[in-house]
Amino acid sequence: MSGTRLIWFHGKECPHCRKLAPVVDQFEAETGIKLERLEVWHNEENAKLMRSLADTIAPACGGDLGVPAFYNEVTGKAICGRIDMAKLVAWAKG
Amino acid sequence: MKKLWRCHVCNDVHLGNKPPEVCPTCGAKNAFVLSDLGEALDIIGKDHASLDDQAKVQAAWKQFSDQSSTVRLTDKAEEVELLSKGVLENLKGKGQRYCPCRITTGDRGKDLNLICPCNFIRQPTFKEEGECWCGLFVKRDAQ
Ligand code: SF4
Repeated sequence: MSGTRLIWFHGKECPHCRKLAPVVDQFEAETGIKLERLEVWHNEENAKLMRSLADTIAPACGGDLGVPAFYNEVTGKAICGRIDMAKLVAWAKG
Repeated sequence: MKKLWRCHVCNDVHLGNKPPEVCPTCGAKNAFVLSDLGEALDIIGKDHASLDDQAKVQAAWKQFSDQSSTVRLTDKAEEVELLSKGVLENLKGKGQRYCPCRITTGDRGKDLNLICPCNFIRQPTFKEEGECWCGLFVKRDAQ
């Protein structure tokens, strides 16, 4: 997958995604880096994109395609699950 | 592939590799005989309540939690609320009460593993942090 986006795959009814939203807001405010927020249960296009990245994202999630998951199109790196600010910064900066 | 079995005493139906030795309903021993889909569906009938609202889904989770000595439902009521809403959204949109924190793959066999409650005991988050991926079920000694 080529591109320059930093993608956050999230689910509308996922509690960890909900808790993470203010952390992502803070990350964007502090770094000036914008994430592309893609909801995966109510938008099949977003789900399809996430499935197409399964080889990278699923291992980061411990085996399944889970949310919250973050995919960096530049580096091809994914992080998933219990994410904090430090992990987010490391992932975004490659 | 799992087979359908029928208790010849009370018509209990079981889907599994082997017939149960003791019928969980009537207690008869070695009472199960090979059945088939038509017979099993006739026995099951169509008058069972659907788990299609949040109160029913939460009651099912509570029953599952109450019977277990090792896992229980989280104390965080707002998360139970959100997740029960999520599984019902997925029932409406995708046909099953799928986990709101994973996504379906389109492979039926794999997606059956995403019906909530899933077999979360095998998840790394359960092994390492004592809770299922979404935090709905926790180890009894955790939290
Ligand atoms: S991870 Fe938790 S909420 Fe998700 S399906 Fe499994 S038991 Fe249900």
